Amino acid sequence: MPRKSSVRTVTEPARKIKVWREADVVVVGGGPGGIGSAIAAARSGAKTVLIERYGHLGGMATGGLVNIIPNLSDISGKQYIYGLTMELLNRLDARGGTSYTKKKDRGTTDRKAVDYYLDAGLGWFYVRQDHNIGKQRVIYSAVVDPEILKDELNDMVLEAGADLLLHSWGTQVIMENITVKGVFFESKSGRQAVLGKVIIDATGDGDMFVAAGAEFDNELDNKRRTAWLALVWWMTNVNIRKFDEFKASQPEKYQELMQELAKLGGYPHFFKSVLKNQHNTIWYHCMQAQAERTDAMDAEQLTAIDVKARKRALITYDFMKKHVPGFERCFIMLTAPQLGTQGGRRIIGEYTVTEKDLETDEIFEDTIAVLANNDYHEISAKHPTLCIPYRCLVPKRVDGLLVAGRAFSSADTINESFNIIPHCIAYGQAAGTAAAIAVKEGIQPRKVDYKALRANLVKQGVNLPEITKSKAAVPLKTPRRTKTDYYQKYG
Amino acid sequence: MAKGPSIKTIREPAQDIRVFREADVVVVGGGPGGHAAAVAAARNGAKTILVERYGCLGGMATGGVVTIIPNLTGRDGVQEIAGQTQEWIDRMDKREATAYAPRELWGSTDKALVKEWFDRSFFNVRLDRVVYSALFDAEILKCALNDMVEEAGVKTLLHSWGTKAIVDGNEVQGIIFESKSGRQAILAKIIIDGTGDGDLLPSAGATFDTDIDPTIRIANLSLCYWIGGVDLKKALEFRGTNPQKFGEIMRNLMQKGGHPMYMRSCLKNQESVVWIHPRYVVTSQIDVEELTRVEFEGRKKMLLTHDYFKKNLPGFEKSFIALSSPQLGTRSSRRVHSDYRLTEADATADRVFKDTIAIFPDVDRGEESMKHPSLHVPYRCLIPRGVENMLVACRAFGSDQVIQNFFNLIPHCIAFGEAAGTAAALCVKEGKKVRDVNMDALHDKLAKAGVPLPKLSKVKAGV
Repeated sequence: MPRKSSVRTVTEPARKIKVWREADVVVVGGGPGGIGSAIAAARSGAKTVLIERYGHLGGMATGGLVNIIPNLSDISGKQYIYGLTMELLNRLDARGGTSYTKKKDRGTTDRKAVDYYLDAGLGWFYVRQDHNIGKQRVIYSAVVDPEILKDELNDMVLEAGADLLLHSWGTQVIMENITVKGVFFESKSGRQAVLGKVIIDATGDGDMFVAAGAEFDNELDNKRRTAWLALVWWMTNVNIRKFDEFKASQPEKYQELMQELAKLGGYPHFFKSVLKNQHNTIWYHCMQAQAERTDAMDAEQLTAIDVKARKRALITYDFMKKHVPGFERCFIMLTAPQLGTQGGRRIIGEYTVTEKDLETDEIFEDTIAVLANNDYHEISAKHPTLCIPYRCLVPKRVDGLLVAGRAFSSADTINESFNIIPHCIAYGQAAGTAAAIAVKEGIQPRKVDYKALRANLVKQGVNLPEITKSKAAVPLKTPRRTKTDYYQKYG
Repeated sequence: MAKGPSIKTIREPAQDIRVFREADVVVVGGGPGGHAAAVAAARNGAKTILVERYGCLGGMATGGVVTIIPNLTGRDGVQEIAGQTQEWIDRMDKREATAYAPRELWGSTDKALVKEWFDRSFFNVRLDRVVYSALFDAEILKCALNDMVEEAGVKTLLHSWGTKAIVDGNEVQGIIFESKSGRQAILAKIIIDGTGDGDLLPSAGATFDTDIDPTIRIANLSLCYWIGGVDLKKALEFRGTNPQKFGEIMRNLMQKGGHPMYMRSCLKNQESVVWIHPRYVVTSQIDVEELTRVEFEGRKKMLLTHDYFKKNLPGFEKSFIALSSPQLGTRSSRRVHSDYRLTEADATADRVFKDTIAIFPDVDRGEESMKHPSLHVPYRCLIPRGVENMLVACRAFGSDQVIQNFFNLIPHCIAFGEAAGTAAALCVKEGKKVRDVNMDALHDKLAKAGVPLPKLSKVKAGV
């Protein structure tokens, strides 16, 4: 195998790059954050371009087969997330493309209801422990059909009037001093540029940060979910009834088999699909907790994990087919086209959300989302929600750039619990709306008036708290021009 | 989506790109051609790197869900394509992940047998005879292809998009690729373009054709999808007993813009699955706006078709869309201007080349195929004219539209790749330019790898 040579470089000469479009707002990445951004920006009147690397929108929710939208309510069943997430779920509902906990069951401790939701194997998503009363309760979470979701997202983006390019990988920003002016992207049409007044990094991994000279955190803590990758795959033609009977009648035998499978390197946990007509289909969210993963952005590590994950899928499939009643005639229906990434770079923003904010119940003057806090055990019991300030989407040292998605400015502990699909949609909706306001007013995103932003979001159906505290957030200052090597002048 | 013709440009300044690795051979694109090239190069001793845009290998065969390896035998039932193609099938066979007519039936004219195998799949019968075409499982193939590169010692990079050749004059020296690790370079003695679209050709300074007659197969993109949960027995029964009603339903669907054709999955345990391979005419398969348009149209029509099936077609009541292909089904774009351009005239003349590196059964051209049972492919149609150190191992091989239309399928691309990779390794070993490859040695290596080649004594035409 060839040896790595880390120091050598080649010089790529300067060249002219075709400008594909000039827009107000350019959104890079069409996952939940990018969708939220593009729809909100376009609806708010900005000329918006969305570029997406794959052939579909939805990111992890579709291509990653992480088709679960959890934590829409807190443990008591009170719903906090509305806005675009709700709009999307309503549209999917009209097409039979979603399944969710029934309204009357949300918050219930009724054993029968709790067991009903636990049985699907979707316990983690549907049921949470309430530490105040020591009982499990049903929360509001939804599961979506990724194929219907892809089409619905296409419709929503087009209806909003955004211009969209699929199969286009935005890889690098165009800088002028400290201001982002556009993006270079690769596609089958060759390297091209798209220019904009505000660029929204919705790549999930903060792919624009490096070239923009934005400060970020890239630490991986292998104990955390966010350091792991998942290759999700679906198996079908499973006789679930037969399997259930076996598991119920021989629980020890089943446990024994699953332990053996784990020893072989397989993956013993799966969810039963609760989507329409998929009663014989199951989902494996095969977590790859790797101690050897040291850098979330290393293509070699991504490759090694992808290859290993496929092997685990086959080991699991072979084993289940051979040994587990109900699986005799199963087959792998599909593996996720996108590797399930859960964390990457996190921007250092004007505000960094930390665990302290959970405990102080801070309601920021620039709150753009209220999220149910269901995953912090005892802390969740005392503090059912977390407010997210707009400032954690605003990079400290760079202008013309907003962050929408899991790369928001946050401690890794916060990121682990508040970087999932509905959260990213909420960050996107706020970033897109703010970008449109900035364009309209001819100001930088960091100068956007919080009151106007919040009023605009409320008009879009986003659930925001009344600001009762008089403690106003300090207005943001324009960063000073620096002469770091990052800021190459383009022109 | 609005078309925005723009002539505005922006200057991207010079930049230093990190060299990720140096190797003997770098292959861009892990589809059938690129994969075969990388495996062949590594097996023949070259330090080889394979760079693939998506997270799986196999290109159209896996990500495109074009799970068909057709036309391995001619009308006479003799297998003409083997080599790594046969290795794919053997590996999948071990896992019961492929379906094809048994050997003893290849070439059969028995009417009952022909009907039986045609009913299973359109691909099993050509020119009124049973042929050797394999249907296979994409997920199992992905794993098999990973195994092959690992065993051969190829250094593989997934999630890495090779976009540009590094050149000095007319010498190609490496490639540039994008990934989550940023823009990086790989330097190599020989560069193999397995991108399907010939993505490296423009930056390598190679010339090419892009014209495609809009009425032929290769002018169409596809977005393949599978429907699961089908009661196939009920569906087939309905079709058999109510052919007129069935036809009417399908005509109605077609008028609505849906896809009135489905294929049965013949794979083990997949009796409840059908495949749909639609076609969408495009003006160019390397125009990203066209690609975007077809993704939208494809998804719309997919849902329309499924809704209609569910409502109107017995057997589909409880069905669901199992998957849509993660990669668009691209069929043709750039065709390199190569040292030899393979044309319809070569097929008509039954031309045999001294540098033949593959023989393809000719079974898709009706009357013409009856007269000309096979096509020979010369090594030279993989060499870009006027460019050094580069080979093409994919459907971008040097060909006219007719040849391209009928001979750019999965087994053909594997054959191009196998030849290109083997030749590259030989050239590296002997310090030769790709167009000076030792042809005897190449033939010898390919034959040893199980590639059927003509007896050279029969060869008339010279290089």
